[in-house]
Amino acid sequence: MCELRRRGLASAVIVSEPFLELGKTQARVFGVPDLPLLPIPHPLGGLSLEEVEARARHALPQVLRLIEERAA
Amino acid sequence: MMSLAELLKAPGASLECEDDFDAVNALVRDRGWSDGLPVVPPTARRVEEMLAYCDRPWHEAVAKIPPRWGEATPLRLAANAVMAGCRPEYFPLLVLAVEAMCEEPFNLYGIQATTHLCAPLVIVNGPVAKELDINCGHNAFGPGWRANATLGRAIRLALVNIGGAIPGRGDMSTFGAPSKYSYLAAENEEANPWEPLHVEQGLPREASAVTVIGAECPHNVNDHESLTAEGILTTIAGTLIAAGANDIYYHQAQPLVVLGPEHAKTIADGGFSKADAKRFLHEHAQLPMRRFSKENIARRLRVTFKERLGGAGLDAPVHMVQRPENLLIAVIGGAGKHSAVVHTFGATKPVTRALTLRDGSYARSVADFKKSTPTPTLPLRGRENSENI
Repeated sequence: MCELRRRGLASAVIVSEPFLELGKTQARVFGVPDLPLLPIPHPLGGLSLEEVEARARHALPQVLRLIEERAA
Repeated sequence: MMSLAELLKAPGASLECEDDFDAVNALVRDRGWSDGLPVVPPTARRVEEMLAYCDRPWHEAVAKIPPRWGEATPLRLAANAVMAGCRPEYFPLLVLAVEAMCEEPFNLYGIQATTHLCAPLVIVNGPVAKELDINCGHNAFGPGWRANATLGRAIRLALVNIGGAIPGRGDMSTFGAPSKYSYLAAENEEANPWEPLHVEQGLPREASAVTVIGAECPHNVNDHESLTAEGILTTIAGTLIAAGANDIYYHQAQPLVVLGPEHAKTIADGGFSKADAKRFLHEHAQLPMRRFSKENIARRLRVTFKERLGGAGLDAPVHMVQRPENLLIAVIGGAGKHSAVVHTFGATKPVTRALTLRDGSYARSVADFKKSTPTPTLPLRGRENSENI
């Protein structure tokens, strides 16, 4: 993902909240500290399909905004 | 080779601190450079004593430790070894173990950052285990032995201080485990009726080696009653069965069975080779699928093992280990009718690495290893009174 970001593509990591710090560290380590991290509620394990879809709905506007910003 | 005094001039390579145990430990605590226990101040003199047992350039990374991907240079490793309380002669095994766990198949990133409670377990084989007095007998996984306690701790400090395994930021383990303080033992080769672990991995018996395993804590197997190989192995197989083990869900998972010497003897006296024991354990360590939750059957077992379990009935066996040869067996411990099962992170492969000299030959001893290490041209002088960290 960091490599895609470096190449200028719209890229982001969708991450559940407790993993934000780990995500920030990884982005910094790989030289793209501005890599967007799109937070969604924890957990991800043990979800019903409906709950997984709800997580996707939570992330979707953030993903769309990112693509629009990149296109602008 | 560059001297330590020269290396310490580099920006960030050292810092001055009052020559006082409490002051050094306050600084280490404030910076988060510890496992939480007090450390031995890593003065330049102590670090240099450690580096006397290093055969590489002191400032060149031997590996990068995730998740921070920090460069594990001998200099940094030596500082951590001092902090952990290691004797200098332990240092070659620290470098070796760190190199082994940074090999790709071990998946150290996963092991460091996972929510699972695994830690790298180091098993030492060969003549250096005796030379360094690494405990392989009573309480081998417990306290009481300097080499086990401090070498294991040095690994943890390197994982934290170089690798960034900071709880909640780089180490996401839900609980962690006591084995994250220190987890290192030698194999009890004298009590092993079969070939020791490193020989099984293809090394000659006279080689000294470390095997790293991304492991849970040992789970005890009490069997005071069984008189036969089949009896002991049945009890061990029963203990390998754990519906919540990661090992179930990874095709390549390699759980470890630690046989106590008395159990190992009973099994070998029954005519079982190590391979026979593995076959028996593979066959008997299984649960009918109905013993798993409906969700785990539908969402994991039938998916992960689609070919075998995808359309199978609920009585179909779920094996705890996918192939007999995936099991590892080591003989460790003292007297007593006990063995131990050590489940793993699952998404990891054990790595065995031998201690070698610069010409590639096996080091016969750490003393032998030290003889072959180059001496820096400008040894450190006159810094004994300052605490360089």
